[in-house]
Amino acid sequence: MNKRIRRLTGTLMALYLVVFLALNFTQVARKEALNDNPLNNRQTIRDFNRPRGPIVTADGQVIARSVPTPDGQFKYQREYPQGLLFSNVTGYYSYSFGATQVEKVAGDVLMGDTPAQKAEGLFGGADNSGSVVLTLRSDLQKVVADALGGREGSVVVMDPTTGAVLAMYSFPTYDANQMASHDFAAVEDVADFLNNYPGKPLLANTYQERYMPGSSFKIITTGIALENGIISLERSWANETEWLPPQTTDPIQNYGGRECGGSMAQVFYRSCNIPFAQMAVELGPELMVQGTRAWGIGEPIPFDLPNPASSNFENSGGDPIDFANNLPLLAIGGFGQANDAMVPLHMCMVAGTVANGGRMMQPYTIQSYLDHDGNVLQRTNPQVWKTPISPATAATLNGLMQQVVNTGTGTQMQLANGIQAAAKTGTAQLNGPGEPERSHAWIVGFAPAEAPRYAIAVMLKGTNDEISAGTGGRLAGPVAKTVLDYLFSTEN
Amino acid sequence: MAQPSPIAAARRNSELGLVVMAAGITAVAYVLAALGKNSEMPATVVPFLIALLGLLIAAHVAVRWMAGGADATLLPLAVLLNGVGYVMIARLNDERAAKQTTWTFIAIVAFVLTLIIVQRPPDLARYKWTFLFVGVGSLMLPLVPGIGSSVGGARIWVSVGPVNIQPGEFAKIALALFFAAYLAEKRELIAAGTGRIGPLRIPELRYVLPITGAWAFAVAVMVAEKDLGSALLFFTLFTVMMWVATERALFLLIGIGLFAGAAVVAYNLFEVVRTRVAVMIDPWSQYEGKGYQAAQSAFAFANGGTAGTGLGMGSPNKIPAASTDYIFAAIGEEMGLVGATGVLIAFLLIIGAGMRVAIRAERPFEKLLAAGLTTIMGMQAFIITAGVLRVIPLTGITLPFMSYGGSSLLANYVLLALLLRVSDSVARRSGEVPDSLTFNERMMARRLRRAEKKMARA
Repeated sequence: MNKRIRRLTGTLMALYLVVFLALNFTQVARKEALNDNPLNNRQTIRDFNRPRGPIVTADGQVIARSVPTPDGQFKYQREYPQGLLFSNVTGYYSYSFGATQVEKVAGDVLMGDTPAQKAEGLFGGADNSGSVVLTLRSDLQKVVADALGGREGSVVVMDPTTGAVLAMYSFPTYDANQMASHDFAAVEDVADFLNNYPGKPLLANTYQERYMPGSSFKIITTGIALENGIISLERSWANETEWLPPQTTDPIQNYGGRECGGSMAQVFYRSCNIPFAQMAVELGPELMVQGTRAWGIGEPIPFDLPNPASSNFENSGGDPIDFANNLPLLAIGGFGQANDAMVPLHMCMVAGTVANGGRMMQPYTIQSYLDHDGNVLQRTNPQVWKTPISPATAATLNGLMQQVVNTGTGTQMQLANGIQAAAKTGTAQLNGPGEPERSHAWIVGFAPAEAPRYAIAVMLKGTNDEISAGTGGRLAGPVAKTVLDYLFSTEN
Repeated sequence: MAQPSPIAAARRNSELGLVVMAAGITAVAYVLAALGKNSEMPATVVPFLIALLGLLIAAHVAVRWMAGGADATLLPLAVLLNGVGYVMIARLNDERAAKQTTWTFIAIVAFVLTLIIVQRPPDLARYKWTFLFVGVGSLMLPLVPGIGSSVGGARIWVSVGPVNIQPGEFAKIALALFFAAYLAEKRELIAAGTGRIGPLRIPELRYVLPITGAWAFAVAVMVAEKDLGSALLFFTLFTVMMWVATERALFLLIGIGLFAGAAVVAYNLFEVVRTRVAVMIDPWSQYEGKGYQAAQSAFAFANGGTAGTGLGMGSPNKIPAASTDYIFAAIGEEMGLVGATGVLIAFLLIIGAGMRVAIRAERPFEKLLAAGLTTIMGMQAFIITAGVLRVIPLTGITLPFMSYGGSSLLANYVLLALLLRVSDSVARRSGEVPDSLTFNERMMARRLRRAEKKMARA
C-alpha cells in the first residue's frame, strides 16, 4: 500500500503546485490587468485610505492636502484650503469621478507610487507620499481672481522666458472640496449641476477651451506677413471704410464701420481690419496656413496638465477649409474672426513669443516633484516649443505692441511707475448681422517691453450686454494693468 | 499517561515551541489587523492573548499526556491556520469573530475528548457499522423536514434551537472510519476477485456491495442536498481509499470514469453546475450577477500582489463570502502571494505529516485511516482554493481550520485528534516510545486484579 500512498501524496502535491501557479498567475502575472479593470475600484479604496501628499504653490501655500479622518469612511479626506481659487489647477480627487488636473498627472508622486519612492518605502510600510510644487503664486492668483471680479473669462500669466505659468484662473469655476467629498450622493448632485452649467466650470477654460480671438490675432497675421517679407514698417494703407475681397460681393468693414488706415504702426495700434484682411489674402492660403501652424495653431498645447485644447485657424467644424476657393474667409481669418479660435493660454504664449525674441516656450505649471523628505525627484526644465518668428520680427512686433499701449487701443494697460508695457487688444464679434451685439474682450501683452518678465492674456467672455458693448482695451486692459502693476509692486 | 521517553519528550517540546510560535504569529497578526483597520491598538489584545495561549497550551498538554509519541508538527500547523483564519474573520466581521471564538473553544474541547475517548485506534474498527450508520444518518439529517434548512442553495444545515450545524462535516469522518475498517478487513478479498469479465478479474459482489452501496448512497444524498463540493470530496476519498487498499488501478480507472460521467450528467442536470462553470471561465460578463463574487476575488488577489496590502488595509469585505468560501482570497489580498503561499505550504506540510503516518503504520486499518483522513483534509483545501482561483468550478466548502463555521472547525479538530492518535499508535508499535498501558487499560487491569484477589480469597 505504501507505493500507492506515496503516489497519492505526490498527486496531492502536484494539485497544490497547480494552485500555487494559479495564485502566481492571478496575483503577479495578471495583477496590473486586474487592477486596471474598470470594474475594479479596490485601488481607489486603497488609495483613499493612504496618505496623499500636498500640492504647494511657488510661494509655499498648500492648496491641496489630505487630512486624517478617524471616524470617516476612508482614512483621509482631500482638502482644498483655497476653495474656488485653485480648483481648475489642482483639479479634484474624487472617489466617484477620479482625479483631474494636477491631482491626475501627479497622482503617482502624491501617492508615493513612483518606482523611486517605492524603492525607498519598500513593502509600502511607511508613509512615502510625495508632493508637488507648482509655478503658480497664490498671491498673484488671488489678485487675478479679484481683478476678474466675478465676470466670466480667463486670465493667464506666465514667464515668457521659461513658459512657467504664474497664475491661471477662469470664471465660472467650482469648489474642488465639493467634488472630493465622501458624501457620494452629494458629489453626484454637484457634478450634475456643474456639468449642466453653461460656462463649463469643471473645465479649466484657460487651457481646455478656445474662443474667437478678434484683433488680438493680428499679432500672428503681422508676424507671418513680416516673416514672409510681404510687409515692412514702411508699408502704409489707404483710409477706407470697406474693402471687397475677391470671390464675393460682401465687403469687409473695420470695427464699428469706421474709416481706418495709415502706416503699419497706425493700422496696428488703431486695429484696422482691412489691412490685415489684405495681408492674409496677399499671403495666400498656403503661406497663411503654414504660418499659423508655425505658431502652434492646430496642435494641442504641450502642457503638463491633462487634455489641453488646440487653437484653430484652418478648420471649420472639423474639416479643412478650402481657402483657395473661399478667399473671403481667409481675409476675415486674417483679423481673428470667422473660424479663428484661440486657447487663452495659447494667446498668452503668443504674446510671450514676441516678448521672448521669437521663441515660444512650452508652458508648465509643475515646478518640481518632491519625495516625502523633500528631495527633488524631478524638476521641469524650460523648453522651446515653436520658433514662429525671427528675433528681428519679434523686435518689430514688440515695438508695434508698445505703441498699442502708448497711443492705441490699449492705453488702459499703461502701467504704474513708467514701466513700459506692450499689448494687443481684441474684440471678437460673435453675433451675425442683425443679432444683438455679443463680443469677447481680449488683451494680450507683456512687460517690461525692453526685457519682458511677464506675459499676460486676459479674456472676458461676451456673455452679457456690458461686456459685449465694450472693447478689449477698455474691459480687459484694466484687468491686465492691475495684475502687472501688482507683480511689479511685489518685486522690491 | 505515557512513561518518560526521550523521543516523546523531544517531540512534545518541539510541538510546544511551535505552538507558542503559532500563537505569537496569531497575536501579532491580530494586533496588525486592528492597527491596519482602525489605526489603534485593540482593547481586547491582552485577554485575547491569554485565552489563545490557554486554549493552545491545553490542547498541547492533552497531546503530551495522551499521545506522547505523535507527530510534533500537526497540532502547530492546525493552530497556525486556525489563528490566521480567526484574525481574518475578526477583521471582516466582529459578530462572526465572537461566534468563532466560542466554536474554537468547543472544537479544542472536542479535540481533547477525542484523545481521551479513543485510546487505541483498533477500537474504532470494531464500530465500523456504527460509523456507517452514523455517517449516512447524519448526512440525511438536513433532509428531515422541520430541522433541516437550506442556505445558499445547499440543504446541508440542521437547526436545533439556536445552534446550526452541518452534519455533513462529521459524516465525512465517520464514513472515512467505516471505509478504513471495512477495507482493512476485506481488501484482499476485494482485490483478489474471483469473477471475471473478459480479461478483468472482478471482485465478488458480496464484498463490494456494502462499501459501494454506502458510497453511492452517500454521494446521492449529497447531490440531493446540492452539496456538490462535499460530493466531489467524498467521491475522491472513496476512490483513493479503494485504490490504496486493493492496490488495483482498476478502481482508480472506474472512479475517474464514473467521475467524468457524473460531471457530464451534473452539468446537464443542474443549473447551478452550468452557472459555476460559466463563472469559472468568464466571471466578467456576469459581473452584475453570479460572476460578482469570483470577479471580486480576482480583484482581491491582484490588489494584494506579492506582499499584500497589509492586514486590515485591503477591501476583502467586497467579497460577499469572504469569511467562508472565499477566505483564501481575503488572505491573498491582505497577506499577498507570500501569505497565501504560506497557507498552501501549511496544508502541504499537514499532508506530508499525515501521509508519513500512513506509510509508517503497520496495521492496514491505521494505514488506511491516516491516508483517508489526510486525503479529506488535503483535498478539501485543494477543492476550495482551486475553486477560488478559478482552476476548477467553485463548490462551496470550507477551507479547513480557516473558514468561519463551527461544524467545520469542530470536525477538523476531531479529525486532527484521530490523526494524532494513529501517529502515536504507530510510534508505540515501532518502539519509538514505550507502549505503556492507556488509562482505560489500567482501569481494566485494576478491576481484573481485584477480581483475582476475590477469587483467591474465595
